[in-house]
Amino acid sequence: MGPLIPNGIIGEGWDFVIAILIGIAFGFILEAAGFSSSRNLAGVFYGYNFVVLRVFFTALIVAMVGLMYFDYFGWLDLSKIFILPTYVTPMIVGGVIMGLGFILGGYCPGTSFTGIAIGKLDALFFTIGLYVGIFGFSLAFPLFEGFYDSGALGNVTLTDVTGIPASYFALAFTIVALAAFWGTMVIEKRVRKNMKQYKF
Amino acid sequence: MSKDKVISDQPKYINPYLGGVLLGLLIIVTVFITGRGLGASGSIKSAVVTTSSTVAPSATKANSYMGQFISDDHSPMFNWLVFESFGVLLGGLLSGLIFGRVKKFRTDHGPKITSKKRWVIALIGGALFGIGSQFGRGCTSGAALSGSATFALGGVIVMFGIFGTGYVIAYFFRKLWI
Amino acid sequence: MNRNYIFLTILMIILAAGTVFLTMDSEPKQIEPEELLQEIIQPTRYVSTDQVAKMIIQGDPSLMLVDVRSEEEFAKYSLPRSINIPIKNLLSDGNLGYFGVPGTKVVFISDDDIKADQMWVFVKRLGFGSTYVMKGGLNCWMQTIIDPERPSDDAPYKDFETYTFRKGAQMYFTGAGADVPDASKIDVLVRRREKTNIASGGC
Repeated sequence: MGPLIPNGIIGEGWDFVIAILIGIAFGFILEAAGFSSSRNLAGVFYGYNFVVLRVFFTALIVAMVGLMYFDYFGWLDLSKIFILPTYVTPMIVGGVIMGLGFILGGYCPGTSFTGIAIGKLDALFFTIGLYVGIFGFSLAFPLFEGFYDSGALGNVTLTDVTGIPASYFALAFTIVALAAFWGTMVIEKRVRKNMKQYKF
Repeated sequence: MSKDKVISDQPKYINPYLGGVLLGLLIIVTVFITGRGLGASGSIKSAVVTTSSTVAPSATKANSYMGQFISDDHSPMFNWLVFESFGVLLGGLLSGLIFGRVKKFRTDHGPKITSKKRWVIALIGGALFGIGSQFGRGCTSGAALSGSATFALGGVIVMFGIFGTGYVIAYFFRKLWI
Repeated sequence: MNRNYIFLTILMIILAAGTVFLTMDSEPKQIEPEELLQEIIQPTRYVSTDQVAKMIIQGDPSLMLVDVRSEEEFAKYSLPRSINIPIKNLLSDGNLGYFGVPGTKVVFISDDDIKADQMWVFVKRLGFGSTYVMKGGLNCWMQTIIDPERPSDDAPYKDFETYTFRKGAQMYFTGAGADVPDASKIDVLVRRREKTNIASGGC
């Protein structure tokens, strides 16, 4: 059955309509959970607000386990879905730079859109920064084009690389996530004792 | 029941685990319908390519990075992620309206810095994030979350990169937030 | 509230553990005939020799080459990194375990693509996805990779790009610069085909 559009079950003309609807749902969930405020997002790194960990990790394990069931019931052909290509070193470097950008900026692209929607000026500056950064990247691209393409492993999954079936990863991430949820409840209570306001 | 000190004007947010479940279900639905996950940084990239191509078309096409995204039949903005990101904006607005968070322009900043300083730092943070997202082939939504949810190795690498780095350097920038 | 969270935690663990137990199920289920027919009609299962050559050269770990000819033919000549599962052995020796591994792409190879196609249909019937057939089989491999045909001088530029890639692939697979492997050692079944342009991709 799935994925519906690549299999032709839903016509390609619906592609962009569905994109907007999915985006609306995405933006709604993010904003409703408090991701539109940079101080909530940064809280995960300082221990006063673990909303990022809770939402992100829960979404991850629900999606992983759910995709496994969809595959088992034959509703979704996992071989037809897009797998992010792996470029080992550039992605590590990209992750590090994004981590720095996250701590400084307090946002990531999706959340900054929701921030703009409710009137947060720092979200606006962050988004402008995104634009500037990507533009600068494009201009400087010839300098590191070789590095950008290095470490290419193709569209590999964790299973491709380790031979361990995906369901084991789903279980492993689930256990780690659940442990983190319980552990951070304790941490949060302690950190919040010294703060008056921790939801922004 | 909870010993939290409740300030009366604290914003109302949905339970984070509920939000996570909804988001996880949304990812499943998105993959089921479109065969791909969510994303966000790609739309800014499309915006960069489009504006650059409007101002300096031949230079943009010659640029070895931006040139890849130029197509003769349609504008780079005519792209799934751009429409999805526009939806994110709308969804955020909708939620903000429902929960009463759409107010006059304001800035979040830690108690030890000013708004203006926050703007500059947000700009720098955004620029860094923009650069990193191109190396990472995505941001937290596209690469880290959707990538990892589909068990892609690259997604997991980016996820650990972002959050790992965040935790390591958070202490040095604590004056910005706490 | 804590009690609800404990319940949800347990529920999540059960669901996640459930996925592990489900995928241990080795019973080959079969798909509906209509679905099988739908899949057979689509040409999306074909991959070109160029694509396979590229994946081998890049060391793509998701690639799994399955040669469906007999053991003797396989011993005489085979592609690197390919395994031999003759069609008659599909259901024995635990060979089914090679299929259905998430993330792998199985590509069937035979002399042309008839036997490979047959194997593809069998495996598809058992419900396995991510299976492909190398179009033209090993015959096409010889004509495009081992001994690529130089495009005529008025051919489009793309044909020359393909030819350059194939020359490189030729060097990779035969280990020689301009040498061509001893043709007498390789038993190639030649069939008369319509005139297609080999240099631009087809066989």
